[in-house]
Amino acid sequence: MVDVATIAFYLGVITYSVAATLFFLELARKDGDTLRAQWAPRLLAIGGALHAIHVLTASLLTHVCPIDSLHFALSFSALIAVGAYLLLRERLRLSALGAFIAPIALTFLVGAQFVGQSSEAAQGVSRTLLMFHIAANVLGIGLFLIAGAAGSVYLLQEHRLRTKKRVGMGSRLPPLDALDTTTHRLLLAGFPLLTFGVVTGAVFSHQLTNPGGAESLRSLLGYATWILLAAVLVLRKTAGFRGRKAAYGTIAGVVCMLLVLLLYVVRSSGGSSL
Amino acid sequence: MIVVVGLSHRTAPIAVREKLVLESADLPDFLRALVQRPEVGEALLVSTCNRVELVAAGRAGFDSDLTRVANACVEALAVHSPGIAPHLYAHVGGAAVRHLFRVAASLDSMVLGEPQILGQVKEAYEIARKAGTVGPVLHRTLPRAIRAAKRVRTDTAIGSGQVSVPSVAVDLAREIFGDLTGHAALLVGSGEMAEAVARLLKVGGASIVVVGRTLSRAEELANAVGGSARPWSALQQSLVEADVVVTSTSAPHFVVDYEMVSAVRRARRGKNQFFIDLAVPRDVEPRIETLDGEFLYNIDDLSKVVSDTLSTRTREAASAEAIIGREAEGYDRWADAEQATPTIVQLRTRLSAALEEELSRSLRGRLKHLPESDRAALSKMVESAVNRLLHQPTIRLRQAALDRNAESLSLEQLTSAISELFGFDADGEVVSTPENALPDDVEASNSGLSLAPKAKVVASRN
Repeated sequence: MVDVATIAFYLGVITYSVAATLFFLELARKDGDTLRAQWAPRLLAIGGALHAIHVLTASLLTHVCPIDSLHFALSFSALIAVGAYLLLRERLRLSALGAFIAPIALTFLVGAQFVGQSSEAAQGVSRTLLMFHIAANVLGIGLFLIAGAAGSVYLLQEHRLRTKKRVGMGSRLPPLDALDTTTHRLLLAGFPLLTFGVVTGAVFSHQLTNPGGAESLRSLLGYATWILLAAVLVLRKTAGFRGRKAAYGTIAGVVCMLLVLLLYVVRSSGGSSL
Repeated sequence: MIVVVGLSHRTAPIAVREKLVLESADLPDFLRALVQRPEVGEALLVSTCNRVELVAAGRAGFDSDLTRVANACVEALAVHSPGIAPHLYAHVGGAAVRHLFRVAASLDSMVLGEPQILGQVKEAYEIARKAGTVGPVLHRTLPRAIRAAKRVRTDTAIGSGQVSVPSVAVDLAREIFGDLTGHAALLVGSGEMAEAVARLLKVGGASIVVVGRTLSRAEELANAVGGSARPWSALQQSLVEADVVVTSTSAPHFVVDYEMVSAVRRARRGKNQFFIDLAVPRDVEPRIETLDGEFLYNIDDLSKVVSDTLSTRTREAASAEAIIGREAEGYDRWADAEQATPTIVQLRTRLSAALEEELSRSLRGRLKHLPESDRAALSKMVESAVNRLLHQPTIRLRQAALDRNAESLSLEQLTSAISELFGFDADGEVVSTPENALPDDVEASNSGLSLAPKAKVVASRN
């Protein structure tokens, strides 16, 4: 079992790396359909499968539920991002997003190896609620990662079209409308999960006897994420807040979310628990 | 080797090119008639609006007299369309191969890198194949030309981008909206280029609304592009509904100004909008570009994209020529190696015939008691022996065909020696002598063996 987990991990790293390289080469390609365009998503899918095998076997080995540990939760978020991307890419012409998703998946797969192996619930915290809290956050992170990537690509494509440089040569980037729609849909899908995560996080934070500065900062950043993404959704509905502004808002929200995650990682590496 | 005879936009004006029109229904008969000529063994015809070219090979395959083949092609075309002869060109041998490769790769096209020509070459090949006018030479040449063209398109940016203003405009619309189906386009004013953009948008799936100062003119244009017409007073409302706006009026001032677009943008709730301003003086106030979600390209912007694309294609042409050069060299090497084939076939025939004769004699005499299975085993053994005996000479002859090193023996020297040693005549046919004559009963294969090709070998070389 150990061997399977290790082999799946290394093969996953290799396939993600090759997929990321192919996606970038595909972005820079001159013209015409190439093998790269076909193999990049296939390799990403293979990488995702290996990633899933790694998470599954490693969690069985350590007797830890995949979402009950920061180690696996991080890995799982990236896996969800990969799955969602593979499902959406054909329908929404989002192939170019692979250049962002593949490195993110790689980073999370590798990065998860360097953080604490499991978290232990603090006294007085409902274990069931904690499981739901982590599950919601993991799913939300996966969806917001793609939303952030789509927002970034939107800004790149918009800049290209506005500056009128390197246009008309058959862009590999998705159309602006597709990117805008994708960002919006992913925010819509992820927002209830985020809300649940923030609310349950607030409950846990309240239950902690001595939250500490990092915990407070984490809560603040969590609220900031929620407020930013809520603002993007509400302003889109009420004031036609789309395109560039929506992309900036989404990216800001995702950055806050990643900072929350970073605080988890730092704290978890330090050995403290929730 | 092949010849290419024809005319193109480089050698003949349209008045001449239109004389040489061959209906696709008549093409198979024309090609069949051509290969009936004693000089021509294979032929196909590439016909586009910018070129008509006959690609042909002689009856003797790679060893044909190509000048005679070319003359026959010139004559066939000149008879079909009198008066075109002074405009015809003929490429022969390696030059014809390079020309065909360049044509297929769109390096000889009026619009460098245009994609249609490759399909037209493939179609010409298919028509000739169905007509039965393609033989071993063209069957090996055309796939190589198609492969070379595909490599050029894949490995270079020769076919990148669009080279006309309307196509660039529609491509940009796709970069903003993706699939244009369900999107609304507004045409303000008239003009040839605006009409062309509207037509392309319509083909892409967009619905078209035409607004003009004169409703009857707008209606006329709307009918032409498959849209609907609205009066000038409906401009503001039409702008709210339109994702793509094409303007081409002769107004001396801005028809669509900043304030108007600001109001429209609010009404559209921030949805992206693309303005294509084809008018001079401009119809759309440039300041609208500062508004989020509003994209504006005027005629200069679009022309610059076209010019950049053409420059890129021209730069890429050098890389494309290098690819064609390499592919043509590969073809030359292969064609050179093919020159050794007749001698190899002669040797095989001679050896097989001699062994078959001996075996046949034995099978009628001392070995006549052998059952059929043993006879088949002996037959196989003899065939293997011929293969082993000829393995080294085959390699050596093919090497000699490719090797132009003055110090080693040339293909001519080797084939001459083989002819001398084995008694082949100058035309490559086996000289019938008492020593090498095959008994009649061997031809009849009454022994049940089949060791050698019975076809007459022709191995004349230029």
